[in-house]
Amino acid sequence: MRNTERRPRTLGDVGIRLLILSLAALLLMALQLTGRLKPIQSAITQLTSPAQTSASGVAENVSQTFSFLAELRTLRQRAAELEQINANLLVENFRLREVERENQQLREMLNFAETRPGLELRGAQIVARVIGQESNNFLDYIMLDLGTRHGVAVGMPVITPQGLVGRVSEVTNTTSKVLLITDPSSAVNAILQSSRINGVVRGDPGGGLVMDYIPQGVLFSVGEIVLTSGLGGNFPKGIPIGQVVDIKQRDIDVFQRAIVQPTVDFSSLELVMVVTNFNPLEIGPELQPPAETPAGSPAEGAPPVDQTAPSGTEGGAPGVIVQPPPGEEPAGGKPAAGGQ
Amino acid sequence: MDRGLLYYVMIPLLALAALFQSAVLPRLEVRGVKPDLVLLLVLIGVLIYGPRISLLWAFVGGLFLDIFSGGPMGVSSLALMAAVAVTGVGHHTLSRYHLLVPIGVAIVGSIAYGATYLGVLMVLDRLAAILDWNLAQHDIQFWPTVEVVLAPAVLYNTILMIFAIPLLNRVPENQEAVTTFQ
Repeated sequence: MRNTERRPRTLGDVGIRLLILSLAALLLMALQLTGRLKPIQSAITQLTSPAQTSASGVAENVSQTFSFLAELRTLRQRAAELEQINANLLVENFRLREVERENQQLREMLNFAETRPGLELRGAQIVARVIGQESNNFLDYIMLDLGTRHGVAVGMPVITPQGLVGRVSEVTNTTSKVLLITDPSSAVNAILQSSRINGVVRGDPGGGLVMDYIPQGVLFSVGEIVLTSGLGGNFPKGIPIGQVVDIKQRDIDVFQRAIVQPTVDFSSLELVMVVTNFNPLEIGPELQPPAETPAGSPAEGAPPVDQTAPSGTEGGAPGVIVQPPPGEEPAGGKPAAGGQ
Repeated sequence: MDRGLLYYVMIPLLALAALFQSAVLPRLEVRGVKPDLVLLLVLIGVLIYGPRISLLWAFVGGLFLDIFSGGPMGVSSLALMAAVAVTGVGHHTLSRYHLLVPIGVAIVGSIAYGATYLGVLMVLDRLAAILDWNLAQHDIQFWPTVEVVLAPAVLYNTILMIFAIPLLNRVPENQEAVTTFQ
Protein backbone atom coordinates (compact mmCIF):
# COMPACT_ATOMS: atom_id res chain seq x y z
CA MET A 1 0.00 0.00 0.00
CA ARG A 2 1.33 3.40 -0.93
CA ASN A 3 1.99 5.82 1.85
CA THR A 4 0.26 9.01 0.75
CA GLU A 5 0.83 10.75 4.09
CA ARG A 6 4.49 11.27 3.34
CA ARG A 7 5.58 14.76 2.45
CA PRO A 8 5.71 15.01 -1.34
CA ARG A 9 9.20 15.43 -2.69
CA THR A 10 9.56 17.74 -5.61
CA LEU A 11 12.34 18.47 -8.05
CA GLY A 12 13.10 21.44 -5.82
CA ASP A 13 14.21 19.08 -3.05
CA VAL A 14 16.60 17.40 -5.46
CA GLY A 15 17.83 20.77 -6.68
CA ILE A 16 18.57 22.00 -3.16
CA ARG A 17 20.37 18.77 -2.33
CA LEU A 18 22.36 19.02 -5.57
CA LEU A 19 23.30 22.61 -4.77
CA ILE A 20 24.42 21.83 -1.21
CA LEU A 21 26.47 18.80 -2.22
CA SER A 22 28.02 20.66 -5.18
CA LEU A 23 29.06 23.47 -2.85
CA ALA A 24 30.53 20.89 -0.48
CA ALA A 25 32.52 19.37 -3.36
CA LEU A 26 33.74 22.82 -4.45
CA LEU A 27 34.71 23.58 -0.86
CA LEU A 28 36.73 20.37 -0.72
CA MET A 29 38.42 21.32 -3.98
CA ALA A 30 39.26 24.77 -2.64
CA LEU A 31 40.59 23.33 0.62
CA GLN A 32 42.80 20.96 -1.33
CA LEU A 33 44.08 23.71 -3.61
CA THR A 34 45.02 25.83 -0.60
CA GLY A 35 46.75 22.84 1.03
CA ARG A 36 44.50 22.79 4.07
CA LEU A 37 43.27 19.30 3.33
CA LYS A 38 46.73 17.77 3.27
CA PRO A 39 46.92 16.57 6.92
CA ILE A 40 43.48 14.98 6.67
CA GLN A 41 44.28 13.47 3.29
CA SER A 42 47.54 12.11 4.63
CA ALA A 43 45.76 10.53 7.61
CA ILE A 44 43.05 9.02 5.40
CA THR A 45 45.64 7.69 2.97
CA GLN A 46 47.50 6.03 5.81
CA LEU A 47 44.27 4.40 6.88
CA THR A 48 43.27 3.25 3.42
CA SER A 49 46.66 2.23 2.03
CA PRO A 50 46.65 -1.20 3.79
CA ALA A 51 43.30 -1.98 2.13
CA GLN A 52 44.67 -0.85 -1.22
CA THR A 53 47.80 -2.93 -0.73
CA SER A 54 45.73 -6.00 0.10
CA ALA A 55 43.35 -5.47 -2.82
CA SER A 56 46.25 -4.96 -5.18
CA GLY A 57 47.91 -8.13 -3.86
CA VAL A 58 44.73 -10.17 -4.30
CA ALA A 59 44.25 -8.78 -7.80
CA GLU A 60 47.83 -9.65 -8.64
CA ASN A 61 47.38 -13.23 -7.41
CA VAL A 62 44.11 -13.67 -9.30
CA SER A 63 45.68 -12.19 -12.40
CA GLN A 64 48.63 -14.57 -12.12
CA THR A 65 46.29 -17.53 -11.64
CA PHE A 66 44.31 -16.62 -14.75
CA SER A 67 47.52 -16.11 -16.70
CA PHE A 68 48.69 -19.53 -15.58
CA LEU A 69 45.41 -21.16 -16.61
CA ALA A 70 45.56 -19.44 -19.98
CA GLU A 71 49.09 -20.66 -20.45
CA LEU A 72 48.11 -24.27 -19.76
CA ARG A 73 46.36 -24.44 -23.12
CA THR A 74 49.52 -23.68 -25.02
CA LEU A 75 51.83 -25.58 -22.75
CA ARG A 76 52.93 -28.18 -25.28
CA GLN A 77 53.80 -25.62 -27.87
CA ARG A 78 55.61 -23.59 -25.26
CA ALA A 79 57.53 -26.66 -24.09
CA ALA A 80 58.88 -27.27 -27.59
CA GLU A 81 59.84 -23.63 -27.92
CA LEU A 82 61.47 -23.65 -24.51
CA GLU A 83 63.51 -26.71 -25.36
CA GLN A 84 64.86 -24.90 -28.37
CA ILE A 85 65.55 -21.81 -26.29
CA ASN A 86 67.17 -23.99 -23.65
CA ALA A 87 69.60 -25.38 -26.19
CA ASN A 88 70.51 -21.88 -27.31
CA LEU A 89 70.87 -20.71 -23.74
CA LEU A 90 73.19 -23.58 -22.95
CA VAL A 91 75.62 -22.29 -25.54
CA GLU A 92 75.10 -18.77 -24.30
CA ASN A 93 75.70 -19.94 -20.75
CA PHE A 94 79.16 -21.25 -21.58
CA ARG A 95 80.05 -17.88 -23.05
CA LEU A 96 78.62 -15.98 -20.08
CA ARG A 97 80.55 -18.10 -17.61
CA GLU A 98 83.67 -16.88 -19.26
CA VAL A 99 82.41 -13.32 -19.04
CA GLU A 100 81.53 -13.83 -15.37
CA ARG A 101 85.01 -15.08 -14.63
CA GLU A 102 86.44 -12.04 -16.30
CA ASN A 103 83.99 -9.82 -14.46
CA GLN A 104 85.02 -11.33 -11.14
CA GLN A 105 88.64 -10.60 -11.87
CA LEU A 106 87.82 -7.02 -12.75
CA ARG A 107 85.82 -6.59 -9.54
CA GLU A 108 88.70 -7.85 -7.50
CA MET A 109 90.96 -5.43 -9.26
CA LEU A 110 88.69 -2.50 -8.62
CA ASN A 111 87.69 -3.35 -5.04
CA PHE A 112 86.19 0.08 -4.54
CA ALA A 113 84.74 -0.32 -1.12
CA GLU A 114 87.94 -1.28 0.65
CA THR A 115 90.58 0.72 -1.10
CA ARG A 116 88.65 3.92 -1.76
CA PRO A 117 86.16 4.63 1.01
CA GLY A 118 85.50 8.08 -0.49
CA LEU A 119 83.82 6.50 -3.49
CA GLU A 120 80.77 5.21 -1.70
CA LEU A 121 78.37 3.20 -3.82
CA ARG A 122 74.79 3.58 -2.82
CA GLY A 123 71.70 1.58 -3.64
CA ALA A 124 70.19 3.90 -6.18
CA GLN A 125 66.81 2.35 -6.38
CA ILE A 126 64.15 1.17 -4.02
CA VAL A 127 61.48 -1.17 -5.11
CA ALA A 128 57.90 -0.06 -4.58
CA ARG A 129 54.67 -1.90 -5.07
CA VAL A 130 51.89 -0.22 -7.03
CA ILE A 131 48.89 -0.16 -4.71
CA GLY A 132 46.50 1.97 -6.70
CA GLN A 133 45.95 3.61 -10.02
CA GLU A 134 43.95 6.65 -11.02
CA SER A 135 40.47 5.30 -11.28
CA ASN A 136 39.20 7.44 -14.11
CA ASN A 137 40.23 7.54 -17.73
CA PHE A 138 41.47 11.13 -17.87
CA LEU A 139 44.45 11.25 -15.51
CA ASP A 140 47.35 8.84 -15.14
CA TYR A 141 48.64 8.45 -11.62
CA ILE A 142 49.74 5.47 -9.59
CA MET A 143 50.04 5.13 -5.84
CA LEU A 144 53.09 3.45 -4.31
CA ASP A 145 53.49 1.88 -0.90
CA LEU A 146 56.57 3.93 -0.10
CA GLY A 147 56.73 7.42 1.37
CA THR A 148 59.02 9.90 3.06
CA ARG A 149 59.70 7.28 5.73
CA HIS A 150 61.47 5.22 3.07
CA GLY A 151 63.43 8.10 1.60
CA VAL A 152 61.06 8.98 -1.22
CA ALA A 153 60.75 12.67 -2.07
CA VAL A 154 58.83 14.73 -4.60
CA GLY A 155 60.47 14.82 -8.01
CA MET A 156 62.25 11.48 -7.80
CA PRO A 157 62.15 9.51 -11.05
CA VAL A 158 60.26 6.22 -11.08
CA ILE A 159 61.41 3.49 -13.45
CA THR A 160 61.10 -0.19 -14.27
CA PRO A 161 63.72 -2.32 -15.99
CA GLN A 162 61.78 -1.62 -19.20
CA GLY A 163 62.04 2.14 -18.93
CA LEU A 164 60.71 5.38 -17.52
CA VAL A 165 57.43 5.31 -15.58
CA GLY A 166 57.12 8.87 -14.26
CA ARG A 167 58.09 11.00 -11.29
CA VAL A 168 56.88 11.30 -7.73
CA SER A 169 54.41 14.19 -7.49
CA GLU A 170 53.16 13.89 -3.92
CA VAL A 171 54.45 12.07 -0.86
CA THR A 172 52.96 11.15 2.48
CA ASN A 173 54.70 9.23 5.26
CA THR A 174 53.93 5.84 3.83
CA THR A 175 52.64 6.39 0.32
CA SER A 176 53.55 8.39 -2.73
CA LYS A 177 51.73 9.46 -5.85
CA VAL A 178 53.49 9.11 -9.17
CA LEU A 179 52.58 11.19 -12.20
CA LEU A 180 52.98 8.82 -15.13
CA ILE A 181 54.64 10.00 -18.33
CA THR A 182 51.39 9.12 -20.11
CA ASP A 183 49.48 11.80 -18.18
CA PRO A 184 48.63 14.84 -20.32
CA SER A 185 50.36 17.10 -17.78
CA SER A 186 53.63 15.21 -18.07
CA ALA A 187 56.49 16.43 -20.25
CA VAL A 188 59.87 14.71 -20.53
CA ASN A 189 62.85 16.02 -22.47
CA ALA A 190 63.81 13.21 -24.80
CA ILE A 191 66.25 12.29 -27.51
CA LEU A 192 66.04 9.85 -30.40
CA GLN A 193 68.77 7.27 -29.95
CA SER A 194 70.03 6.96 -33.53
CA SER A 195 69.39 10.37 -35.05
CA ARG A 196 70.18 12.27 -31.79
CA ILE A 197 67.23 14.62 -32.29
CA ASN A 198 65.83 16.33 -29.22
CA GLY A 199 62.15 16.76 -28.42
CA VAL A 200 59.63 16.66 -25.63
CA VAL A 201 57.62 13.53 -24.91
CA ARG A 202 54.15 14.35 -23.66
CA GLY A 203 51.32 12.16 -22.45
CA ASP A 204 48.32 11.83 -24.65
CA PRO A 205 44.76 11.30 -23.40
CA GLY A 206 44.15 7.60 -23.80
CA GLY A 207 47.50 6.48 -22.46
CA GLY A 208 49.75 7.10 -25.46
CA LEU A 209 52.89 9.18 -25.86
CA VAL A 210 53.71 11.90 -28.36
CA MET A 211 57.18 13.28 -29.01
CA ASP A 212 56.73 16.93 -29.91
CA TYR A 213 58.91 19.89 -30.83
CA ILE A 214 60.95 17.94 -33.36
CA PRO A 215 62.28 20.52 -35.83
CA GLN A 216 61.02 20.42 -39.40
CA GLY A 217 63.59 19.19 -41.89
CA VAL A 218 65.42 16.71 -39.67
CA LEU A 219 65.16 13.10 -40.68
CA PHE A 220 64.35 10.22 -38.39
CA SER A 221 62.59 6.95 -38.87
CA VAL A 222 59.92 4.74 -37.41
CA GLY A 223 61.40 2.23 -34.98
CA GLU A 224 63.89 4.61 -33.36
CA ILE A 225 64.30 4.28 -29.61
CA VAL A 226 63.36 7.31 -27.52
CA LEU A 227 65.47 7.98 -24.43
CA THR A 228 65.46 10.66 -21.77
CA SER A 229 67.88 13.41 -22.78
CA GLY A 230 68.66 14.65 -19.29
CA LEU A 231 67.95 18.23 -20.42
CA GLY A 232 66.05 20.19 -17.84
CA GLY A 233 67.47 18.05 -15.06
CA ASN A 234 64.23 16.33 -14.13
CA PHE A 235 65.27 12.84 -15.20
CA PRO A 236 68.58 11.01 -15.50
CA LYS A 237 69.89 10.73 -19.01
CA GLY A 238 69.51 7.61 -21.13
CA ILE A 239 66.42 5.97 -19.65
CA PRO A 240 64.33 4.28 -22.37
CA ILE A 241 60.91 5.86 -22.90
CA GLY A 242 59.59 4.11 -25.97
CA GLN A 243 59.84 3.51 -29.67
CA VAL A 244 58.66 5.69 -32.54
CA VAL A 245 55.73 3.97 -34.26
CA ASP A 246 54.45 6.81 -36.44
CA ILE A 247 55.59 10.20 -37.68
CA LYS A 248 53.21 13.14 -38.04
CA GLN A 249 54.79 15.64 -40.41
CA ARG A 250 52.80 18.47 -41.99
CA ASP A 251 54.39 21.36 -43.84
CA ILE A 252 52.05 23.86 -42.19
CA ASP A 253 53.24 22.91 -38.71
CA VAL A 254 56.25 24.43 -37.01
CA PHE A 255 57.36 21.10 -35.61
CA GLN A 256 57.11 17.44 -36.48
CA ARG A 257 55.55 14.98 -34.04
CA ALA A 258 56.25 11.32 -33.44
CA ILE A 259 53.84 8.84 -31.93
CA VAL A 260 55.75 6.84 -29.35
CA GLN A 261 54.89 3.37 -28.08
CA PRO A 262 55.99 3.24 -24.42
CA THR A 263 58.45 0.50 -23.49
CA VAL A 264 56.68 0.15 -20.16
CA ASP A 265 53.35 -1.67 -20.11
CA PHE A 266 51.44 0.75 -17.91
CA SER A 267 48.39 -1.51 -17.74
CA SER A 268 50.27 -4.18 -15.80
CA LEU A 269 52.56 -2.18 -13.55
CA GLU A 270 53.21 -4.10 -10.35
CA LEU A 271 56.67 -3.27 -9.10
CA VAL A 272 58.55 -0.10 -9.88
CA MET A 273 61.81 1.41 -8.70
CA VAL A 274 62.21 4.88 -7.25
CA VAL A 275 65.58 6.45 -7.99
CA THR A 276 66.35 8.00 -4.65
CA ASN A 277 69.77 9.46 -5.30
CA PHE A 278 68.92 11.59 -8.28
CA ASN A 279 68.56 15.28 -7.51
CA PRO A 280 65.98 16.70 -9.88
CA LEU A 281 66.33 20.36 -10.77
CA GLU A 282 62.96 22.03 -10.24
CA ILE A 283 63.03 24.21 -13.31
CA GLY A 284 60.36 22.39 -15.27
CA PRO A 285 60.65 20.96 -18.75
CA GLU A 286 62.44 23.27 -21.13
CA LEU A 287 61.50 23.38 -24.73
CA GLN A 288 64.69 23.71 -26.66
CA PRO A 289 64.42 26.00 -29.69
CA PRO A 290 65.26 23.93 -32.74
CA ALA A 291 67.87 26.36 -34.04
CA GLU A 292 69.87 26.18 -30.83
CA THR A 293 69.71 22.43 -30.49
CA PRO A 294 71.18 20.92 -33.61
CA ALA A 295 70.93 17.21 -34.17
CA GLY A 296 74.09 15.50 -33.11
CA SER A 297 74.77 17.48 -29.97
CA PRO A 298 72.07 16.28 -27.61
CA ALA A 299 73.74 16.79 -24.29
CA GLU A 300 74.98 20.30 -24.84
CA GLY A 301 73.83 22.49 -22.04
CA ALA A 302 72.78 19.55 -19.94
CA PRO A 303 73.10 20.22 -16.22
CA PRO A 304 76.01 18.62 -14.35
CA VAL A 305 73.71 16.07 -12.72
CA ASP A 306 73.12 14.46 -16.09
CA GLN A 307 76.78 14.22 -16.80
CA THR A 308 77.31 12.00 -13.79
CA ALA A 309 74.89 9.47 -15.12
CA PRO A 310 76.13 6.96 -17.65
CA SER A 311 74.94 7.70 -21.14
CA GLY A 312 73.41 5.53 -23.78
CA THR A 313 72.00 2.65 -21.84
CA GLU A 314 70.50 0.74 -24.64
CA GLY A 315 67.38 -1.01 -23.52
CA GLY A 316 68.96 -2.38 -20.37
CA ALA A 317 68.63 -1.17 -16.81
CA PRO A 318 69.21 2.55 -16.78
CA GLY A 319 72.42 3.67 -15.21
CA VAL A 320 71.20 5.45 -12.17
CA ILE A 321 73.89 4.63 -9.65
CA VAL A 322 75.49 8.01 -9.46
CA GLN A 323 78.15 9.29 -7.16
CA PRO A 324 76.93 12.12 -4.95
CA PRO A 325 79.37 14.98 -4.50
CA PRO A 326 81.55 14.68 -1.38
CA GLY A 327 79.70 15.68 1.75
CA GLU A 328 76.35 15.86 0.03
CA GLU A 329 73.50 13.52 0.77
CA PRO A 330 71.43 12.25 -2.11
CA ALA A 331 67.78 13.20 -2.47
CA GLY A 332 65.74 11.48 0.18
CA GLY A 333 68.31 12.23 2.85
CA LYS A 334 69.20 8.67 3.75
CA PRO A 335 70.37 5.52 2.05
CA ALA A 336 67.65 3.82 0.13
CA ALA A 337 65.88 1.06 1.99
CA GLY A 338 66.17 -2.22 0.21
CA GLY A 339 68.86 -0.89 -2.09
CA GLN A 340 72.13 -2.57 -2.63
CA MET B 1 8.28 0.31 3.24
CA ASP B 2 10.59 -2.10 1.43
CA ARG B 3 13.66 -0.34 0.19
CA GLY B 4 15.60 -3.49 -0.54
CA LEU B 5 19.02 -4.55 0.68
CA LEU B 6 20.89 -2.47 -1.87
CA TYR B 7 19.68 0.76 -0.27
CA TYR B 8 21.33 -0.05 3.04
CA VAL B 9 24.58 -1.48 1.70
CA MET B 10 25.11 1.11 -1.01
CA ILE B 11 27.74 3.21 0.79
CA PRO B 12 29.96 0.25 1.81
CA LEU B 13 29.44 -1.08 -1.71
CA LEU B 14 30.61 2.24 -3.15
CA ALA B 15 33.73 2.09 -0.97
CA LEU B 16 34.45 -1.42 -2.20
CA ALA B 17 33.78 -0.41 -5.79
CA ALA B 18 36.15 2.56 -5.52
CA LEU B 19 38.84 0.29 -4.04
CA PHE B 20 38.22 -2.26 -6.79
CA GLN B 21 38.29 0.46 -9.43
CA SER B 22 41.59 1.74 -8.13
CA ALA B 23 43.38 -1.55 -7.51
CA VAL B 24 41.86 -4.11 -9.85
CA LEU B 25 40.17 -2.48 -12.84
CA PRO B 26 43.38 -1.04 -14.29
CA ARG B 27 44.17 -4.68 -15.13
CA LEU B 28 40.96 -4.90 -17.16
CA GLU B 29 41.76 -1.99 -19.42
CA VAL B 30 40.71 -2.29 -23.03
CA ARG B 31 42.66 0.02 -25.33
CA GLY B 32 43.64 2.19 -22.38
CA VAL B 33 40.07 2.59 -21.12
CA LYS B 34 38.65 1.07 -17.96
CA PRO B 35 35.03 0.87 -16.81
CA ASP B 36 33.65 3.29 -14.20
CA LEU B 37 32.28 0.91 -11.60
CA VAL B 38 31.30 3.58 -9.08
CA LEU B 39 29.46 5.49 -11.80
CA LEU B 40 27.57 2.34 -12.76
CA LEU B 41 26.58 1.69 -9.15
CA VAL B 42 25.35 5.25 -8.73
CA LEU B 43 23.37 4.99 -11.99
CA ILE B 44 21.80 1.76 -10.77
CA GLY B 45 20.90 3.68 -7.62
CA VAL B 46 19.19 6.32 -9.77
CA LEU B 47 17.24 3.67 -11.66
CA ILE B 48 15.97 1.98 -8.51
CA TYR B 49 15.77 4.70 -5.86
CA GLY B 50 15.66 7.93 -7.83
CA PRO B 51 17.92 10.96 -7.90
CA ARG B 52 17.35 12.26 -4.36
CA ILE B 53 19.27 9.65 -2.39
CA SER B 54 21.53 8.91 -5.37
CA LEU B 55 22.94 12.43 -5.18
CA LEU B 56 24.27 11.63 -1.73
CA TRP B 57 25.69 8.34 -2.96
CA ALA B 58 27.30 10.17 -5.87
CA PHE B 59 28.93 12.63 -3.48
CA VAL B 60 30.21 9.91 -1.15
CA GLY B 61 31.25 7.62 -4.02
CA GLY B 62 33.18 10.48 -5.60
CA LEU B 63 35.03 11.11 -2.35
CA PHE B 64 35.95 7.41 -2.12
CA LEU B 65 37.24 7.53 -5.70
CA ASP B 66 39.38 10.59 -5.06
CA ILE B 67 40.76 9.18 -1.81
CA PHE B 68 41.75 5.84 -3.31
CA SER B 69 43.12 7.20 -6.54
CA GLY B 70 44.78 10.40 -5.39
CA GLY B 71 42.83 12.53 -7.85
CA PRO B 72 41.81 16.13 -7.19
CA MET B 73 39.39 15.99 -4.25
CA GLY B 74 35.77 16.76 -5.11
CA VAL B 75 36.03 16.49 -8.90
CA SER B 76 34.70 12.92 -9.06
CA SER B 77 31.85 13.88 -6.71
CA LEU B 78 30.83 16.76 -8.97
CA ALA B 79 31.01 14.58 -12.06
CA LEU B 80 28.98 11.77 -10.48
CA MET B 81 26.37 14.24 -9.21
CA ALA B 82 26.08 15.69 -12.71
CA ALA B 83 25.43 12.18 -14.02
CA VAL B 84 22.74 11.65 -11.37
CA ALA B 85 21.12 15.03 -12.06
CA VAL B 86 20.90 14.33 -15.79
CA THR B 87 19.73 10.72 -15.58
CA GLY B 88 17.39 11.32 -12.65
CA VAL B 89 15.15 13.57 -14.72
CA GLY B 90 13.30 10.67 -16.29
CA HIS B 91 13.09 8.54 -13.19
CA HIS B 92 9.35 8.92 -12.62
CA THR B 93 8.23 8.90 -16.22
CA LEU B 94 10.18 5.96 -17.59
CA SER B 95 10.03 2.38 -16.37
CA ARG B 96 13.41 0.94 -15.54
CA TYR B 97 12.18 -2.49 -16.64
CA HIS B 98 12.21 -1.34 -20.24
CA LEU B 99 15.44 -2.58 -21.85
CA LEU B 100 16.32 0.76 -23.38
CA VAL B 101 16.05 2.72 -20.13
CA PRO B 102 19.11 1.28 -18.32
CA ILE B 103 21.08 1.42 -21.55
CA GLY B 104 20.08 5.04 -22.10
CA VAL B 105 20.93 5.88 -18.48
CA ALA B 106 24.38 4.29 -18.90
CA ILE B 107 25.06 6.25 -22.09
CA VAL B 108 23.74 9.61 -20.87
CA GLY B 109 25.23 9.16 -17.39
CA SER B 110 28.66 8.24 -18.74
CA ILE B 111 28.66 11.23 -21.09
CA ALA B 112 27.57 13.59 -18.30
CA TYR B 113 30.19 12.13 -15.93
CA GLY B 114 33.02 12.30 -18.45
CA ALA B 115 32.11 15.73 -19.80
CA THR B 116 31.79 17.19 -16.30
CA TYR B 117 35.07 15.67 -15.16
CA LEU B 118 36.84 17.01 -18.25
CA GLY B 119 35.15 20.38 -17.88
CA VAL B 120 36.14 20.76 -14.22
CA LEU B 121 39.74 19.79 -15.05
CA MET B 122 39.84 22.36 -17.84
CA VAL B 123 38.37 25.06 -15.59
CA LEU B 124 40.94 24.21 -12.89
CA ASP B 125 43.70 24.49 -15.50
CA ARG B 126 42.45 27.88 -16.65
CA LEU B 127 42.14 29.12 -13.05
CA ALA B 128 45.61 27.80 -12.24
CA ALA B 129 47.02 29.69 -15.21
CA ILE B 130 45.18 32.91 -14.31
CA LEU B 131 45.78 32.82 -10.55
CA ASP B 132 49.28 31.35 -10.84
CA TRP B 133 48.43 28.32 -8.71
CA ASN B 134 50.97 25.60 -8.33
CA LEU B 135 48.90 22.96 -10.11
CA ALA B 136 49.77 20.33 -12.67
CA GLN B 137 48.76 21.69 -16.09
CA HIS B 138 46.87 18.91 -17.78
CA ASP B 139 46.65 20.50 -21.23
CA ILE B 140 43.58 18.42 -21.98
CA GLN B 141 41.96 19.11 -25.32
CA PHE B 142 38.26 18.51 -25.10
CA TRP B 143 37.30 16.95 -28.42
CA PRO B 144 40.32 14.67 -28.94
CA THR B 145 39.81 13.40 -25.39
CA VAL B 146 36.13 12.83 -26.05
CA GLU B 147 37.02 10.81 -29.13
CA VAL B 148 39.87 8.77 -27.64
CA VAL B 149 38.74 8.34 -24.03
CA LEU B 150 35.15 9.32 -23.41
CA ALA B 151 33.49 7.50 -26.30
CA PRO B 152 35.15 4.12 -25.56
CA ALA B 153 34.39 4.56 -21.84
CA VAL B 154 30.72 5.18 -22.64
CA LEU B 155 30.69 2.02 -24.74
CA TYR B 156 32.44 0.00 -22.02
CA ASN B 157 30.05 1.24 -19.31
CA THR B 158 27.02 0.56 -21.50
CA ILE B 159 28.11 -3.01 -22.15
CA LEU B 160 28.58 -3.57 -18.42
CA MET B 161 25.14 -2.08 -17.76
CA ILE B 162 23.61 -4.53 -20.25
CA PHE B 163 25.16 -7.37 -18.26
CA ALA B 164 23.76 -5.86 -15.06
CA ILE B 165 20.17 -5.57 -16.38
CA PRO B 166 19.04 -9.12 -15.37
CA LEU B 167 20.23 -8.47 -11.81
CA LEU B 168 18.71 -5.00 -11.83
CA ASN B 169 15.31 -6.39 -12.85
CA ARG B 170 15.31 -8.73 -9.85
CA VAL B 171 15.43 -5.82 -7.39
CA PRO B 172 11.82 -5.02 -6.36
CA GLU B 173 10.27 -1.66 -7.14
CA ASN B 174 11.15 0.82 -4.44
CA GLN B 175 8.01 1.78 -2.52
CA GLU B 176 9.42 5.09 -1.38
CA ALA B 177 10.14 6.16 -4.94
CA VAL B 178 6.58 5.23 -5.92
CA THR B 179 5.05 7.41 -3.21
CA THR B 180 7.22 10.46 -3.45
CA PHE B 181 5.58 12.14 -6.42
CA GLN B 182 1.94 11.36 -5.64
